[in-house]
Amino acid sequence: MIPLEYYLVVASALFSLGLFGLLTKKNAVNVLMSIELMFNAANINLIAFSRFVTGDTEGQVFALFVIVIAACESAVALAIVMSLYRILKGVDLPEASALKG
Amino acid sequence: METLAPKIIFWVFTGLMLGSALVVVLGTNLVRAAFALLATFFSVAAFYAMLGADFLAGVQILVYVGGILTLFLFGVMLTNRIYGLELETATFQLGSGALVSLTVFAVLVTVVLTTPWSQTALVEEGPTTPAIGRLLMTEYVLPFEIASVLLLVALLGAAMLVRRRIDL
Amino acid sequence: MERLDTVSSLQYFVPEIVLVFSLMAVLFCDLISKNRSQSERRLVIVIPTLIGLVVALFYAFAGAGEVSAGLFNNMVALDGFGNVLRILFIASSIFVLLFTVHSKELKSVHHGELLVLLLTVTVSLIWMANSINLMMIYLALETVSIASYVMVGYLKTDRFSNEASLKYIIFGAVSSGTMLFGMSLLFGLTGSLDLYEIRAALSNQEIVASSGPALMVIIVLILAGIGFKMATVPFHFWCPDVYTGAPTPVTAFLSVGPKVAGFAVLVRFFYGGLSEPAGGHNWAMVGSVDWQTILMVVAVLTMSLGNIAALTQTNVKRLLAYSSIAHAGYIMMGAAVLTGEGIQAMVAYMVVYLFMNLGAFLVVIIVHNEIGSFEVKDYAGIWRRAPMLTLVMGVFLFSLMGIPPFAGFLAKWYVFSAVIKAGLGWFAVVGGVNSAIGAFYYLQILKTMFVDGDETPSPAKPLILQPIYAGLLFVLVVPNIIGLLLWGYLDRVAQYSQRLLDVI
Repeated sequence: MIPLEYYLVVASALFSLGLFGLLTKKNAVNVLMSIELMFNAANINLIAFSRFVTGDTEGQVFALFVIVIAACESAVALAIVMSLYRILKGVDLPEASALKG
Repeated sequence: METLAPKIIFWVFTGLMLGSALVVVLGTNLVRAAFALLATFFSVAAFYAMLGADFLAGVQILVYVGGILTLFLFGVMLTNRIYGLELETATFQLGSGALVSLTVFAVLVTVVLTTPWSQTALVEEGPTTPAIGRLLMTEYVLPFEIASVLLLVALLGAAMLVRRRIDL
Repeated sequence: MERLDTVSSLQYFVPEIVLVFSLMAVLFCDLISKNRSQSERRLVIVIPTLIGLVVALFYAFAGAGEVSAGLFNNMVALDGFGNVLRILFIASSIFVLLFTVHSKELKSVHHGELLVLLLTVTVSLIWMANSINLMMIYLALETVSIASYVMVGYLKTDRFSNEASLKYIIFGAVSSGTMLFGMSLLFGLTGSLDLYEIRAALSNQEIVASSGPALMVIIVLILAGIGFKMATVPFHFWCPDVYTGAPTPVTAFLSVGPKVAGFAVLVRFFYGGLSEPAGGHNWAMVGSVDWQTILMVVAVLTMSLGNIAALTQTNVKRLLAYSSIAHAGYIMMGAAVLTGEGIQAMVAYMVVYLFMNLGAFLVVIIVHNEIGSFEVKDYAGIWRRAPMLTLVMGVFLFSLMGIPPFAGFLAKWYVFSAVIKAGLGWFAVVGGVNSAIGAFYYLQILKTMFVDGDETPSPAKPLILQPIYAGLLFVLVVPNIIGLLLWGYLDRVAQYSQRLLDVI
């Protein structure tokens, strides 16, 4: 069986990669992807601890809620990105599409 | 042979996860990054399955791969030219970003390896879905209800933001 | 500490239930009024929102009793601290709701979703401030965040509103991800999500001896998430931009609600999970990390940076953003002294801060409705157009400075006396110096309103004041003026709020 520490180290690596992505990327969608990596890293931690330390499903329930929250957050974030994109595009290319309704 | 198989699976998925995550954070092509993210999410689901969280593995694939990733792909396709936005107050160079994240990684790994986690749990195999369902309906019923408010408001907010008409 | 199950918790949960039902009612009213005219429709949604909030406020007052218990199997706390904050959140939402009514920035957009979001944030602020379980803290905090991202970007045709929202969501997601990672490690270290069980686990000598570095990392990671909500250094970067880009009523709300709730989470987390009552009004840290020093350093940095950065601002909203960062530093002082008086001082400060800060933002909204600008230099000559409004703004600004006859002085007095009583004289000195720096930029606004006006050639056209705004100004300004007379009442509130779950 794989020991707990292996999972934790992999999760730390994933978290650090997410951090690296969000520090270096300029594209909003790409930054959001990096943030998802951080959420996934935390979830691996939670489930690993739930298996090795507590032995019940409490950590899994937490991870379940994290997935729900991550979904909501990315939905709203992408809506904002799209709304902003619409404005910036509107600045560059004068079009009637915004008035079409 | 039986002891070797889980190890091989673990290392394969670790490599897949970290490799695809590297593509996400280092690559320049957004669509490729989105598909790399697919591999990351899949290997995370595999990790959940290895840790005995069968239900979570299913949810991970359904929500992350089926929902969030699709959302990201839409985002990429619809806003493909959104470059040069001032997202960060300070723009980090690749070098300093790497330095920061490597430091964080070093600190985290040191902490993770030096802390004696109290691993007293009995390892029990078997489906976790009934246990999760029971917890959600008893102890965690309030968070469960709050999550529904959250979903409602996220739906409302996202729909409001992307709707084209201004006055509605 | 009593632990109540779901059914017996419901009777203490009436304000929250009222708020959730009214948010659904507003959504429904919004849908059925689709074919009506803009002004009629606005009325159809504002009135149920207002009724919902007032009824919730009534029940919140009625529910502020002596009982303290862990509701819903120790998910949220019912105690004096939470009861006071619950009233505070609902009251601030009532003010903000009325702010939106005549706001020029929000004139062209439909208000339906905004009010639903306002109610959602209000109820989740209450959940956030009362959570005593890591998962509840995270969930409530994210609900507050996600709804406020949309509120900030509500002017979807406005570039700045959208950029502010994007900035807010990215900073918010990063800090919440960081906090989540910290929480997962804490869960692994202690084997529990319940703050009081975490405290018990951390008191265990075996864990204390071996967990130093881990606990340090956990505290730093979790402080990132809470610090984002409180807008304390070094997680304040988003604050000026978001406050400037958001519609002003939303800015006013963000500067009070989520900030106060952030401090509540700080108290719940550090006083519930990482320290225990040690007789009298004192608290003792558990575990092996001296987090009190971390909080003090953060407090000093926050108020210094906020005040110094505010000195050079030319935009009123930006200036008030930095001023709110500085005030977060003062409130943090109360949290850092680790005594019951410190908690009293925090709550007293937050109550006063609600009145003075919302008041200042209301004046900004009124002036913007009239002159269409947020630049300080455009405030020149306001004195001749609206002498009363200028005087009222003067009261709010003097109160924010902490000048004696006004309520702001009382707030500062509470904080400084708690600090001195805890034997941290240097800390009080730092706070005093900061208040003196703060006076400069507040006086700058006042000076512009009064003195520079003579150069404007335009005839002094009186400024239009809507009846609702006039009434609101009156309600907000009176407690600031007669602050010292209300001392006894404020003191009772502070005494009451000191009762955390396990303090008698």
